[in-house]
Amino acid sequence: MTIGIAGVYTTKFGELWSQGFASLMKEAIYGALEDANLEIKNLDAIYVGNMLSGNFGDQEQLGAAISGELGLNIPAIKVEAACASGGIAVHQACQAVKSGSYQTVLALGIEKMTDYAPEEVAAGLMQAASEDERIAGLTFPALYALMARAHMQKYGTTESQLALVAVKNHFHASLNCKAQYPFTLTKQDVLNSTCIADPLKLYDCSPITDGASAVILTAKNQQVKILASQVATDSTGLAGRESITEIKATKLASQKAFASANIDPQEINVAELHDCFTIAEILALEDIGFVKKGEAGPRLEKGQFKLGSKGLIVNTSGGLKAAGHPVGATGVKQVVEIVEQLRGSAGKRQVKGEAKLGLTHNIGGSGGTAVIHILTNKGKAFNKN
Amino acid sequence: MLSWTIVRTPPTGFKQFAPYIVALIELKSGVKMAGQLVDCNILKLKSGVKVKAVLRKVRESSKEGIIPYGIKFKIK
Repeated sequence: MTIGIAGVYTTKFGELWSQGFASLMKEAIYGALEDANLEIKNLDAIYVGNMLSGNFGDQEQLGAAISGELGLNIPAIKVEAACASGGIAVHQACQAVKSGSYQTVLALGIEKMTDYAPEEVAAGLMQAASEDERIAGLTFPALYALMARAHMQKYGTTESQLALVAVKNHFHASLNCKAQYPFTLTKQDVLNSTCIADPLKLYDCSPITDGASAVILTAKNQQVKILASQVATDSTGLAGRESITEIKATKLASQKAFASANIDPQEINVAELHDCFTIAEILALEDIGFVKKGEAGPRLEKGQFKLGSKGLIVNTSGGLKAAGHPVGATGVKQVVEIVEQLRGSAGKRQVKGEAKLGLTHNIGGSGGTAVIHILTNKGKAFNKN
Repeated sequence: MLSWTIVRTPPTGFKQFAPYIVALIELKSGVKMAGQLVDCNILKLKSGVKVKAVLRKVRESSKEGIIPYGIKFKIK
């Protein structure tokens, strides 16, 4: 059946010290309602993607906290899967529409992070990892550094190739007024930046961000539709994985998504991939099946995946790297960006040619959860179900 | 040792140890775990080196003064 996207909105991402949690939430929800030409009373249910509202803000029972703030009494449910919370909120909203129980469902992603000390945020985020990783004093940059080094050893991926992910995504962010870091970087800037967890440097890492995004899904036909919404999970810790040079959950969720949409990876025109660290975009390009293992680095050197290049364009929003990463909001923002691309309303970031198929890829932790959405602006041709 | 990194921006409770090396280790049994490498010459860091487990203080002490111990690793 069709899951139509009625409306989308994202707030500015950044250090939003003048906006509290409720203000961000209302801006995103009313923004999406205005885009959908709907009123708040038209919503049947809300799914909220958020990770740290209990740690930072002391607010749990977040669903009711939000519906109460909006003066609603509808089902409102928080879902949590670390940095994939937003993707999971969209997935649950899809399931709710598909079930036939609800006609109009809003998925909100929201996180308020920058009011807290970096080491507190680092410790909060490590709740998404495994116990041995917390005892070892690991951090998320360090977990991805372990994967980066293993990938470099196995496939010859270089620090310079990693840097090209940051250069590309900062260029895209420079065209996005909602991005946290709308400025360009050179490869040398990235390579010369402070080391955070060898071999990852400051500009290999996504930032700590405030922001909120919302998507309204409906059982009615719309210009942009969701063709597939798939989730896969794996061990939260690297030690429990078969391999650390790939993210198995990404592979499994993508395979299921391509099968249910009845398309090949090569048909995708534009994608938002989970680049929390530069190595993560390389892993995603390979594990989704856009390129073979070990080929993402060389392809980046050829200038692929950047606006203006031929073929698949990746992270037109600037990605997590440069648009920012308010963890619960990210998975929803990715869908917002692809909807704008498929509507042809992405302005300076609009991909050239006719974009018909888009994909979002959202990861929780170091690969414990993967969420894939495939979207299209085409009619019945792609509507397998 | 399967892979390693040096943590230069530590989380709460680890400030006094930073910068420190953390590695992904595969035990003889095939079980893998993450752990810090201690008493280590950084120039000897290379994936594939053999390590042995040692008992060490793993975090800064709590306010009650309890010292948390756990497993770290040394290059053999």
